[in-house]
Amino acid sequence: MPYVARTGVVGVAIMPSVTGRERSLEELLYHVTQLALRDAGMTIDDIDGIVVASNDQLDGRAISIMAASAAVGGVDRDILSTPSAGEHAFVMGALRVATGQYRTQLVVSWSPTEAAPFHEAQHLAADPYYHRKLPLDEVSSHALQASALLSSVPGVEAMAKKVAEKNRQNGRGAYPEQTGRSENAIKVPWPLDAGMVSPPVTGAVALVLASEEYVNEHPDLPVAWISGMGWATEAAYLGDRDLAQASSLAEAARQAYGEAGIADPVGAFEVAEVADATPYQELLAYEALGLAPRAEWGARLDDGTFGPGGKLPVNLSGGALSLNPVYCTGLIRIAEIARRVLGRDGANTRTGLAHAASGFAMQYNTVVVLRRGEQGAAA
Amino acid sequence: MSARVGIIGIGQSNFQARRNDASYPDLVREAVTVALGDAKLDFDGIEAVVYSLSPDAMVGIGNAERIGVDAVGARNKRFLRINTGGATGISSVAAAYYHVAAGACDVVLTAGADKVGECGDSQTVLNKIWDPTYERQLPLGTINMLAMSAVRYMDKYGMTEEDMARVVVKNRMQASKNPHAHLKKPTTVEEVFKSRYISWPIKLFDCCPQSSGGCAMVLASERYIKERNLDAVWITGVGHCSETYYIGDRMGTGYTADHADAYALRGSFVRAFKMAGITKPRDQVDVAELYAPFSNTEFHSIEAAGLAELGQSPAMLREGQFQLGGKIPVNPSGGVLCTNAIAVTAMVRVAEIALQVWDRAGGHQVAGAKRGIASGNGGDHQFFGTMVVEA
Amino acid sequence: MSTELLMRQETWNITYTHALGETASWFYVQLRDHAKLYGKRDAKSGRVLIPPRSFSDQTLEPTTDWVEVGPGGVIETFSIVYEEFNGLPPPPYAFGYVKLDGADTAIGGYFKGVDLSDPKAASAKLKIGTRVTTKFAEKRAGDVLDFWFESDAG
Repeated sequence: MPYVARTGVVGVAIMPSVTGRERSLEELLYHVTQLALRDAGMTIDDIDGIVVASNDQLDGRAISIMAASAAVGGVDRDILSTPSAGEHAFVMGALRVATGQYRTQLVVSWSPTEAAPFHEAQHLAADPYYHRKLPLDEVSSHALQASALLSSVPGVEAMAKKVAEKNRQNGRGAYPEQTGRSENAIKVPWPLDAGMVSPPVTGAVALVLASEEYVNEHPDLPVAWISGMGWATEAAYLGDRDLAQASSLAEAARQAYGEAGIADPVGAFEVAEVADATPYQELLAYEALGLAPRAEWGARLDDGTFGPGGKLPVNLSGGALSLNPVYCTGLIRIAEIARRVLGRDGANTRTGLAHAASGFAMQYNTVVVLRRGEQGAAA
Repeated sequence: MSARVGIIGIGQSNFQARRNDASYPDLVREAVTVALGDAKLDFDGIEAVVYSLSPDAMVGIGNAERIGVDAVGARNKRFLRINTGGATGISSVAAAYYHVAAGACDVVLTAGADKVGECGDSQTVLNKIWDPTYERQLPLGTINMLAMSAVRYMDKYGMTEEDMARVVVKNRMQASKNPHAHLKKPTTVEEVFKSRYISWPIKLFDCCPQSSGGCAMVLASERYIKERNLDAVWITGVGHCSETYYIGDRMGTGYTADHADAYALRGSFVRAFKMAGITKPRDQVDVAELYAPFSNTEFHSIEAAGLAELGQSPAMLREGQFQLGGKIPVNPSGGVLCTNAIAVTAMVRVAEIALQVWDRAGGHQVAGAKRGIASGNGGDHQFFGTMVVEA
Repeated sequence: MSTELLMRQETWNITYTHALGETASWFYVQLRDHAKLYGKRDAKSGRVLIPPRSFSDQTLEPTTDWVEVGPGGVIETFSIVYEEFNGLPPPPYAFGYVKLDGADTAIGGYFKGVDLSDPKAASAKLKIGTRVTTKFAEKRAGDVLDFWFESDAG
């Protein structure tokens, strides 16, 4: 570990699908923040700093950290935002605690569905120089990625279907009330279909990070230590990339595994959550995370390695294929692993792997390795 | 405690109204190339990049950091973007600082650019910073929002429009010595008074321009700098603090922040000063670059930095204390009043202070400057970032 | 490299349907249907917040009871805009913030009934501390443009 101070997750709140109009966006953020603080046994007075992440075009607010600041407790506090990705807020918060200059950080991200047309809000990310005239949005970029895999991996469509079925099944177990209830239909471009993409829903997620010093002062507090963290990005233009590969994810994994001292990732974790805006992304993640090269995807899906009860269950939450609050799905992947490593599901999970991706065809990739602290384990 | 973090390279554009010869990523690259040259590094030497970009709508590209990835050479590297509105630039330097101070990286680049002149509706975009529930239907923009601060400051401390004009005259004179500044033509109090009212009491000359250009900085760990025997200046204090989103909560009764002042900017400086061991800023600070896009806001910024008591800065400015050659020169670069490329404006504040304590500021050098302070303001006078840089 | 430099115009066009939530909805229904303004009290500090928030950003406690405020109040700040901006109203116009009687925070609104042609004279009439009265539109849509402020001094 290269870090000055050890950092862990001590509180989590996940709202992967919010319906109804009882709450404004600000009120939703207030609510999710209060839930995460309560989960950490803290009040806002225990928080030294805040990092939030959101997308102006989805929020319909310029500098949308502004409205959030009041709701997440930003008044009189030190707050930053990382609009590049929800998971980047986690990275920034973790780095701040890792300096030894902060004892705690609150990390919040959200994704509303108040923009119409939704795809147009994403289409604005197509640059006006070469791409704005093309019908490019996130789903279409994911379709191009899927297409690249179809032309390079024989039989991959059937594997993708298996991944989608697995995650949807997991989702019905993890979030039975919410899954499959979105009213926001989307048009799905070939080669994707409705079974491989989940429509956008409103969601929010918050985590509380704490330093080793804070944790030591609270011996009953369960903690999920960040034992490795990596993040990397792909090139800007899709045409500059091999969309059938996830090289920046491999780099992010190299960073995270290096820090965590993991030489062989197979068998190193008990659970994993990976990006799955489409099932093709999950397949790419198997390879880039060192869990299964593409030649083994079919066999590992057939033998249930990544299914519930398998050697390494992947996306037990159901993933974004079940509930897709588009902008914050990445941070939710990390939060889902934190929740399990903290023992909030009642199981005895000691280590977990989280992969988050954002942008066109997984441009940004973040990998986090969490390990349960020994203290609080019996509590 | 973490080791010190140094600044080893700086690049900034010669800012101007339009840059029709360069796309948005071209402008980012322009600043990055200068900063890397200054640090004598190529892209292979950079381990992580913090991308500095305020509202997407201002450059007209959603998540415009994504197309900036190649401009900053971040392919397959650690990369993330910071946005705290106008404070973004200094928050980005702070974020880069945390990468190094945490021990995650030895060398980090932070960079960005803006083309405010390409946004035909900047005050319309900036109206969208207010919440759609209560405030956005009002014709709020950043100019009238800070005009309302001026009205309260005038009422509270007796500032006059002439006091405001003196800030413009001082900063324009200083900008005339800075080749990177956008508005470089000196002016007079009479000329400021002749310029038209935009939003009373703010006149055209009391306003910053809309600038195009980029800025980049390279930060490195103390170990990296010492091992290579590099020339560097040091970030010794970093702070952030915020105040309420709702302007109407900064007045009335029982409020903590007064919209006349810069309450959370003071809070942010308190944090940075504590870290840097500064207890008497009036005696311990040699030079300041304080984010002030309108003339009136330089006063409450000077006071929030502890360089003057509340309400005292107009008189002290009149005495020449804050001009080049005065006791503590404020905005020797000409400041935001003469150059405002929003995404990097607050980074330029840090860059300029670094150049000052490095004795590399050229025509606007403050003689013998060893310790400087910088600030950035974002949102609706809401987010404040501060930094102390020392030789 | 010498070349003809091209420009391209692009417009963003997205529509947002923002949920106002229960608190703001109740406030706007009272405004629309009864021409009354209410603040909400933060029990911890005792302050009455208007516009009403469901929680206080200072104490982070939920607000509790509704308190009718105004229609009288005092000007806390103002500006008079003389410049035209795309998407904003034609100038000149005056607006700012008023602390309504019974409230602890100020709410934004237009000032009407002031001759704005001379900036100095107009700004003197809107001086901080000036007593104003809230006026309500005949037809109200349920937004902050349903009301404005007029100086009691005329």
